[in-house]
Amino acid sequence: MIKMEQINKIYRPQSNPVHALQDINLHIAAGDFAAIMGPSGSGKSTLMNILGCLDTPSSGQYWLGGVQISSMNSDDLAVIRNKKIGFVFQNFNLLPRMTALHNVELPMLYAGIDKEERNRRALDCISRVGMLERMHHRPSELSGGQCQRIAIARALVNTPDIILADEPTGNLDTATSLEIMNIFQSLHREGRTIVLVTHEPDIAAYARRVLHFRDGRLVDEVINPHPAGISDPVEGGETE
Amino acid sequence: MNLSESIRIALDSIRANLMRSVLTTLGIMIGITAVIAVVAVGQGGQQSILKEMEKFGSNLFQISVDWRRDELPTGNEFNMQDIEIIKANVPEVQYLLPGVSSYTQVKGGTKSKTAQVRGTEADYARLHPLEMAAGRFLTESDCQGRRKVAVVDEDLARELFPRDNAIGKRIVIDNQGLVICGLVKAESSLFGSGTKSVYIPTRVWLDIYPEDNISYLEGGGRTPGEVKTAMESSIKILEKRHRSEDLYEGYTMEQEMAAVNQVTGVMTLVIGIIAGLSLLVGGIGVMNIMLVSVTERTREIGLRMALGARRRNILTQFLIEAVVLCLLGGIIGMALGIGGAFLISALAKWPPLISWTTVLLAFTFSAAIGIIFGILPANKAANLDPIDALRRD
Repeated sequence: MIKMEQINKIYRPQSNPVHALQDINLHIAAGDFAAIMGPSGSGKSTLMNILGCLDTPSSGQYWLGGVQISSMNSDDLAVIRNKKIGFVFQNFNLLPRMTALHNVELPMLYAGIDKEERNRRALDCISRVGMLERMHHRPSELSGGQCQRIAIARALVNTPDIILADEPTGNLDTATSLEIMNIFQSLHREGRTIVLVTHEPDIAAYARRVLHFRDGRLVDEVINPHPAGISDPVEGGETE
Repeated sequence: MNLSESIRIALDSIRANLMRSVLTTLGIMIGITAVIAVVAVGQGGQQSILKEMEKFGSNLFQISVDWRRDELPTGNEFNMQDIEIIKANVPEVQYLLPGVSSYTQVKGGTKSKTAQVRGTEADYARLHPLEMAAGRFLTESDCQGRRKVAVVDEDLARELFPRDNAIGKRIVIDNQGLVICGLVKAESSLFGSGTKSVYIPTRVWLDIYPEDNISYLEGGGRTPGEVKTAMESSIKILEKRHRSEDLYEGYTMEQEMAAVNQVTGVMTLVIGIIAGLSLLVGGIGVMNIMLVSVTERTREIGLRMALGARRRNILTQFLIEAVVLCLLGGIIGMALGIGGAFLISALAKWPPLISWTTVLLAFTFSAAIGIIFGILPANKAANLDPIDALRRD
């Protein structure tokens, strides 16, 4: 699903070059659940930006779902982000003036999907994260955990190739974090490809693979034989 | 993302900052109000003047001695013979009337009033929109036969003979007695309203005031196209008969109307430009607030980009927001402008003329301001880097 070859990212190449990523070779298969760990400055944010097609590498090749991304222009990247990637952010990034439902519909608006289909798919994804009862509320009327559930629903509506979650539990308490991670775990069991950035080992423990980054390099890879949360399906999870 | 979605988003964000949006659009509102009101009142005034002039007939022309030559009357004024000769020799002239009049005392019954006494011919009633209230106007035989008859306007008749029917009554003008043969309805117009008029045969007038001359001629062309020829040929004959050149000047109603059109047109244009300047200032206000809005919503823009918005989606979103803002101001301004035009016109006593062209122009203009002044902020929004925009607090 994801294939990176000799990816380099250099900021300010002329004056004061910073080598944010060096010779990254990465392969993530369809249906995999990978966690990216590393201290700040390790290059994990840069990697996420490139994986998420928000940024392009300085050199190297990046294929996403068989499509070469490295040399695309900003409009093509927007289409890829829209159709192939579902973002989940640390601070949820819901639009405050819209209801939860409209927030979930937003990516479909840019995909040009008609109103009925938008509504149908949004309801489908909202029910998937157990938020049907509160979908007409605005983000300010929802708890952090509920906001993140809505954000996950939004990431799912265009049935993306990968879900990119950047510290999705960073703003949540422990109990809520577990609920959110269980949702990711069950999505993974359905066969979704998930890439998760975190600095918490407890959270990384939900992934099948953990990739460690340091100073712009991929330094270690650990396979989790028994990922957390498997025995704790999301369907039983409660909303706050 | 289709248009109605974009408009909905724009209205949402305008509603979210309602106070600010209203204040921003105030400039546009005032500008459009001013443009609509000024143009409507200006065009209304122009129309009423022209309509008034048309009442006199657009086939009209006038010839008079050029007083700008600063000479006293020299005996080169007109006489009744001139009129006969011109009428016989210039086929384009349908009517030609002597112009003699004076303000003088008219006595009747026990009373005496000041009125404009005009010496004229039977054709006067064909050249001017006179409406008879009773009796008849002067006839050919009245005029040829120097009959001592007079046509008086209703108002004057009522003042002189409040109780009786004025027809058949005797009035006295400068010691000459005349019998009233007809009453005309009082003319009310933009210009000479309230003037009381008496019409008597020219020859009778010249008998009363023998030392006076005919100071101008009033004519009517057979068709609007022949008015100019009629006037020019008449002047040629006059110059030959009076052995003088460049003494007479003539003008046609058409020239008058063109002059009025030009003056009111220039006035409307000048005031319109001033009003347009206020629209410009309003547009700058919109641009300013849109720039603030883009800065405030950087994160939103970043998020939309991450979710798949292309640069042109962001560009159109902000452009539409600016246009919607300006159009809201424009529509309110239009309503206020139309109201204002009616108010001013009510005070000035002429109907406002609100043409669809003006309304359409104002509408297009406010939309254009939205686009022109929205393009810079929208472009700023569209060129944000999604990574930076998402990171911004």
